[in-house]
Amino acid sequence: MARLLPLGWLQLKHQKLRLFAAIMGIAFAVILITVQLGFSKALTVSAVRYHSAMDYELVMVSPKTTYLVSTKQFPRSRLYQAPGFEGVDGVTAVYTQQGSWRDPADRTSARNIFAIGFNPSQRGFARLLTPAQHELIKLPDRIIFDRRGRPEYGPVAALFESNGPYEVDINDRMPILAGLYSLGTSFGLDGGVITSDLNFLRAFPKRDKSSIDIGLIHLQPGADPQQVQREIIAGIPRDVRVLTREEFKTQEIDHWSKTTPIGYIFTFGAIMGLVVGFIIVYQILFADVQDHVREYATLKAMGYTHGYLRGVVLQQSVVLAVLGFIPGIAVSILVFGKAAEATGLPLSMNLRSAGFLFLLTLFMCASSGILALRKLRSIDPAEVF
Amino acid sequence: MTDEMPVTLEGVSYLYGKGALSKQILYDINAAIQAGEIVILTGPSGSGKTTLLTLMGALRSAQQGSVKVLGHELNRARDRTLVRVRRQIGYIFQSHNLLESLTIGQNVQMGLKLDPAGGRNARQRIADVLDRVGLGEHIHKHPGQLSGGQKQRAGIARALVNRPRIILADEPTASLDKQSGRDVVELIQELAREDGAAVVLVTHDNRILDIADRILHLEDGHMKPLGEAVAEGASRMLNLLGKHEPGTASYLAAFSFALARVAHADDVVTDSERAQMRRILHDVAHLETSEVEFIMELSMMQHRAHDSSGMGAEHNALLAERQDHFVESLFTIAGADGEVDDVEVAEIRRIAAEFGLQHSRFAGN
Repeated sequence: MARLLPLGWLQLKHQKLRLFAAIMGIAFAVILITVQLGFSKALTVSAVRYHSAMDYELVMVSPKTTYLVSTKQFPRSRLYQAPGFEGVDGVTAVYTQQGSWRDPADRTSARNIFAIGFNPSQRGFARLLTPAQHELIKLPDRIIFDRRGRPEYGPVAALFESNGPYEVDINDRMPILAGLYSLGTSFGLDGGVITSDLNFLRAFPKRDKSSIDIGLIHLQPGADPQQVQREIIAGIPRDVRVLTREEFKTQEIDHWSKTTPIGYIFTFGAIMGLVVGFIIVYQILFADVQDHVREYATLKAMGYTHGYLRGVVLQQSVVLAVLGFIPGIAVSILVFGKAAEATGLPLSMNLRSAGFLFLLTLFMCASSGILALRKLRSIDPAEVF
Repeated sequence: MTDEMPVTLEGVSYLYGKGALSKQILYDINAAIQAGEIVILTGPSGSGKTTLLTLMGALRSAQQGSVKVLGHELNRARDRTLVRVRRQIGYIFQSHNLLESLTIGQNVQMGLKLDPAGGRNARQRIADVLDRVGLGEHIHKHPGQLSGGQKQRAGIARALVNRPRIILADEPTASLDKQSGRDVVELIQELAREDGAAVVLVTHDNRILDIADRILHLEDGHMKPLGEAVAEGASRMLNLLGKHEPGTASYLAAFSFALARVAHADDVVTDSERAQMRRILHDVAHLETSEVEFIMELSMMQHRAHDSSGMGAEHNALLAERQDHFVESLFTIAGADGEVDDVEVAEIRRIAAEFGLQHSRFAGN
C-alpha cells in the first residue's frame, strides 16, 4: 500500500500559516488577473453590442469610420448600388449621431446619447425593436429608449412603465418616448435611442439626408457573403468599405483594444496580476526549499535523485495553483456580479474562461516553481554530514 | 560478490578546493571493512573522518586511489552509480535529520526509497523496524513530538528499514545525553549484528568506543595505529591530572602500583578476583566507579607486562627486534648521566630476567 508519499503536499501542509499566506497570495493574483481579463473581455463584448444586435450579412461604412461612436458619413447613393449585385436582397440605411439627452427628472443635467435612425419599413432591427415599435416610430417624433443605459439618464424606464409615453428632451426638442428596448452600455456608449430615419433628421436638423453612417446589406438566403463582398468591392468606387459581420466587429474591437489605452490598461493589469502571482509563488516555494535544504540534502544522501526533488517542488506548485485558484475564482465571480450591476457591462464567467484562467494559474505556479528549482540544484548531499 | 568486502579503500587521498587554494584532507588511506564488522572511525575534529565517511557513502569522489563500495568503484563513477550505491546504504546522521513534516512512520517509509520489493509488505516492514527500535507506538507522531533519543532511534529505523549491507553513522550520539547515547549505539550494534551489516561509525565520543570490533584512528588525514593514539591520549590526560590534581594523581598511581604487586603477585588473575577487587576498591577505598576502572586498567597494564604471552613467546619472531630496542634503550637511559654503574646494570638485568628478555649484552657476564 505504501507507495511514494506526496512529500510536496505534506511539506506544504506542515506549515499551515505559510500555506494559508500562499493561498491568499495566489487567490489575490487570480482575482487580479480574472477581473482584468473580465473587463477586457467585457470591453470587446460590449463594444460590439450594436454590431451583433443588428441584422445584416454585409455592412457598408466610410473608410474613415474606425468605431461606432464616431462614424463618418458616406453617400447614401453608394449603398443603393448594392442591390444591383447578385445575391443582395436589400439594404437599410442607418443614421447615427451623439445627441444630447436631459434627465426627465432633472432637466439641468444633459448627457450624450447614441441616436440611431433607420427606415422602419426596412430590415435590420428586428432583434432590438418589436414589430409594434417599428410601427410606432413611423409616427412623427416617436423614439425608443434603451432601458439598460446608464442610470445617469434618469428614471426613464420607471417613468415610462408607470405613466406610459411622455415627452423627453433630446437636442432641446421634445419627442415622445414611445417604448423601451434592452441592450446595454459599453465603454464608448452610455445608452441609446432608436427612431425612424425621418424622426432622426428632425432631431438632427443639420444632418444631410443623403449622407448615411452605416449601410446594412441583406443577402438572399444561400448567398456567400464573402463572394458578394468581393463583387461589390470590385464594382463600386473605393470611397466606401464593405465588411462582413466579423470584419465589422473586429474593426470595432481593434479600435478599443489596440488604438485606445483602455485595452492596453486591462492587458497590463492582467500581466501585473500574473507577475504578482509569479513572485508570490516563487517566494513561497523558494523559502520552502530554503527551509528544507537540510532535509532535501538528507534525501539526496539516501539515494533520492534530483529528479525526485524536482517532482516535490513541482507538486507543490500544482497544489498551490489548485488551492489558490478555487477561492480566487470564487471571489472573482462575486466581484463580477457586483461590477456588472454597477456598470451594466457584460462581466461573466463561463467554463471556458475558467479553464483558461486555471491553465494560466498553473503556468504561473509551475514556472515560478521551475525557477525555485535552481536553489535545489545547489544542494550537496555531502553537506549533511 | 557475496564474499567481497563491502568497503575497500586503496591509497585514497582527498583534497578540498582546487589549485593553489586546495587543502588536502586525506592522505593515502587504506582500509577494508568486512560484512558484519563494526568499525569506529575516531580522531580529533578536522582529522578528516567525516570526509572519509562521505567517500564511503558515495557522497563525494576522491581525487586519488580507489574507493570500492558493494562492488562498485566510486572514483570517477557516473551519478547513476553513485545514486544506486547510496540506495543500498543506511545513513544515520548526527542530528537525526528526520523530515519534520512527516510522521515517524512516513519518515521510515522514505527510507524504503523506491525499492520495488517494498510495495506490498512495506507497511509491515515499517511497523517491524519501529518495533525493533522501540518506537512502535509512536508511528503516527511527528518528530517534533519526540525526545532527542527517540528521534535518533527513528533515524536508525529509517536507515535500517531497507536492510542495507552497510550502515554509515556520523556522530550518532553527539546530540544525546550519556544514557541515550549509550542506548543508541547499543541499538545500532544489536541491529547491525542481526542483519549482518557492516557498520562504520564516526565519533569522538570515547564512551562508545568499546562497541567496536576495530578502531580506525585518523589524525590530520593520516591513518594512525591505535597504540599511538591511545599512548598520546592517555599520557596527555595523565599529564593533566598530575598538573591540576597532583594529590589524586599520586593516590591513584600508588593504588595501581600496589594493586599490581598484591593482587597480581601469583600471576593468575581470574574474573571473579577482578570483580572482588572492584567491589573492595569501591566500598573500602571509597573510590568512584570511573576511578576504580582507571586503577584496574593501570594495574592490568603492569600485569600484562609480566604476562609471558605479551612480549614473550607468542610473538617472538616479530618482537626480537623490539626486545633489543627495549634493553638497548634501558642501557642508554642508564648512561644518560655519564656512566652506567653496576647498580644500574644489576637493575636492568633484574627487569630483563623478570620479563624474560634476551640481549647480547647479557651474554658476557
